[in-house]
Amino acid sequence: MAQPVRIQPDLEFVKELQAVGGESLKKCYQCATCSVACPISPTNNPYPRKEMVWASWGLKDKLLSDVDIWLCHNCGTCSDLCPRGAKPGDLLSALRNMTYSRLTQPSIVGKWLSSAQYLPILVAIPAILWAVIWVIMAGVNGSVFPQGDIVFGKLFPGDFTIDPIFILTFFTAVGILFKGTKNLIASFQPEGRTMMLGKTKHWTLHLVDVILEEVLTHTKFKDCGADKSDRKVGHMTLMYSFVILAFVTGVVAVGHWGGKVIPAIEIHTPMPLTFPVKILANIGAVMLLVGLAILTVRRKALDPKKTSSNYYDWYLLGVIWVVAVTGVLSQLFRLAGIAPVAYSVYYVHLVAVWMLFAYLPWSKLGHLVYRTAALTYVRAMGRR
Amino acid sequence: MSNSILVVGGGFSGLTAAIEAAEVGYEVYIVEKTPFLGGRVAQLNKYFPKLCPPSCGLEIQFQRIKKNPRIKFFTQAEVTAVSGDAGNYTVKVHIEPRGTVPSSADLSLLASSLESDVDNEFELGLAKRKPLYMSVPFAFPSRFVLDKAALSRADELKVGKSAFCDMNEAPRDIELNVGSIVVATGWKPYDVTKLSNLGAGAFANCVSNMQLERLASASGPTAGQIKRPSDGKAPKKVAFVQCAGSRDQNHLNYCSYICCMASLKQALYVREQYPDAEVTVYYIDLRTPGRYDKFLRKVKADEKIALVKGKVAGVEEDAATGDVIVEVEDAVKGEKRKHRYDLVVLATGMQPSLAGQKLPFDVPVDEEGFIVGGEEKGIFAAGCAQKPLDVMRTAQSGTSAALKAIQTVRGR
Repeated sequence: MAQPVRIQPDLEFVKELQAVGGESLKKCYQCATCSVACPISPTNNPYPRKEMVWASWGLKDKLLSDVDIWLCHNCGTCSDLCPRGAKPGDLLSALRNMTYSRLTQPSIVGKWLSSAQYLPILVAIPAILWAVIWVIMAGVNGSVFPQGDIVFGKLFPGDFTIDPIFILTFFTAVGILFKGTKNLIASFQPEGRTMMLGKTKHWTLHLVDVILEEVLTHTKFKDCGADKSDRKVGHMTLMYSFVILAFVTGVVAVGHWGGKVIPAIEIHTPMPLTFPVKILANIGAVMLLVGLAILTVRRKALDPKKTSSNYYDWYLLGVIWVVAVTGVLSQLFRLAGIAPVAYSVYYVHLVAVWMLFAYLPWSKLGHLVYRTAALTYVRAMGRR
Repeated sequence: MSNSILVVGGGFSGLTAAIEAAEVGYEVYIVEKTPFLGGRVAQLNKYFPKLCPPSCGLEIQFQRIKKNPRIKFFTQAEVTAVSGDAGNYTVKVHIEPRGTVPSSADLSLLASSLESDVDNEFELGLAKRKPLYMSVPFAFPSRFVLDKAALSRADELKVGKSAFCDMNEAPRDIELNVGSIVVATGWKPYDVTKLSNLGAGAFANCVSNMQLERLASASGPTAGQIKRPSDGKAPKKVAFVQCAGSRDQNHLNYCSYICCMASLKQALYVREQYPDAEVTVYYIDLRTPGRYDKFLRKVKADEKIALVKGKVAGVEEDAATGDVIVEVEDAVKGEKRKHRYDLVVLATGMQPSLAGQKLPFDVPVDEEGFIVGGEEKGIFAAGCAQKPLDVMRTAQSGTSAALKAIQTVRGR
């Protein structure tokens, strides 16, 4: 007979989990339908049944070192077939949300990102930052809204405000994500050593595989089932719009700063509408709106008895919506020549963009790094 | 005012209620929807607690009905309207024609000479029947039924010549005056076509537990030999899928109480017929209430019966061989695997017959269709119309309903 195992449940942890989106987990009676229903769960130690029992029992250590939560792509099939409405998909989603706030320092920001009650703080920081610059520039310009042609650089000069602030924000976020990722990988390490037999691949090669085979192609989304194809289309459209917009930003940055050294590659903003980079940017903007619309409609259509959307989901969708809508409107009002509205909308745009990047490591968008890291780790460990 | 009692449903609980009330002196009417009494029990091969064949237990009930002039029963009959109050109900009953004259004449020769074949609902789709038929050899009333709509032109000529058939019998509507009503409408097997991830009833060798009862029954389509419906092969590997619809908020949001015992019993049917066969029962929790635990110990002692915790959540068919492949996680080992079986039995749950029906009497039902009240109106539920039960408890609830009905009508 095996020795009885004494379980030491962490009840606070269970409550915390229920608060971040796993409120139905106690309904689970371990029938294991979910593990079978999941089209991408592996055959040995499949998820999410084991996570459900760990969560019910308050086995915090097991859950916080569980790499499987990142294998789940949240299609919701497990929750649809769950006979109890225990929502295993929501639990895994809640565990991922917990990772964003637990692994990422400083944790106070994680707390602010976890609930709508702190949203005013999150908005206030960039709102004050950009308002201070506006006030200073109003003094310099001698009017609240700059005179003449609408050029956003007149109010928020790229060289002295936008570029330094965003470069600093971006690299700070990268640094925070790097540290968070190290913590994440360390949390996956099993006790003792893992002996690898045969040839092993360097982790960077696994990372390349993950990016080529999963991220760029969204194969896991496809495996989640044909009836979930709107998720794949929406998410992929959104992701590629980000890629396009990042590329455009890079080109403009190179054209702007590089242009100071090599005048031939200089790019002036605002770019004319027929300029190829501008065309690409506008394609990216339309894709962004389309992707957002698909994902928002899908999320609104979810049966709350099966899958519920939590604050992390709505925060991220909301911020990207504001970024996209204010970005498009800034351009339209600029072209329409309505200066007060154009400058005001652009201010909101800057606030939202800063929120998107600065809070990225603690928001659901952190999955872009953490999930990629976890998928790479999983491949290196041979768990498929 | 009336001191008669109406029993709706001629299954085990209805028969028990009717006989108990009649034997202490009350006049009882039984209204049964199908052409024969006996209900679901008549379809079984063996039933708990003593694993008797149904002919045994029902035979006694039928004898008691035959000998008791206070019991009148109507088959192929349905209650269409009920008006009045406790002690004085007027009940309208619609009776379909049976098409045969009142006699116990053996019409099997005439029946077998008919050319039409129609689906046999009693055999749950496993066999065909003639338009002139009996359900089982011990059926009661022991009188053939004519399914006029299913007759071909040639069949009509043959049947028309028989002195024992009546092609011109018309449906009848009668009115009964009763003081109390026992609702013993029973249950139906949950519709497997709704179990989309368990094959939805599309695979020949993935049968329901009630179908297996027919396959194992001596009066069934295979004369009691458990064979694969697709090719008649003797199964060597058999799996039972528990909670096929039960304990599932998407289907039946309750435990059907009897399916675990049914599967354990059926595992023994298979093992008795095929000493080499291997049986696996996949379950969420094995529920063997009360003294049935002893039965579980007996099943566990059989080395060729494996009991595995984990609900089957995927069923596929290998079209070439007819084998059924189930996908399940062994929740104790944490292994998700696909397993191939010759025959898979879905332990489908009990759904109350009244689910989704418009009732002719005003009694409250819960969202699943079980009767949850009405006693103050002199209407009492018995058997599986009330909750899922085994035969023994069904009989007890029939007696209990009879006693309450008697208390309602006594002295009127």
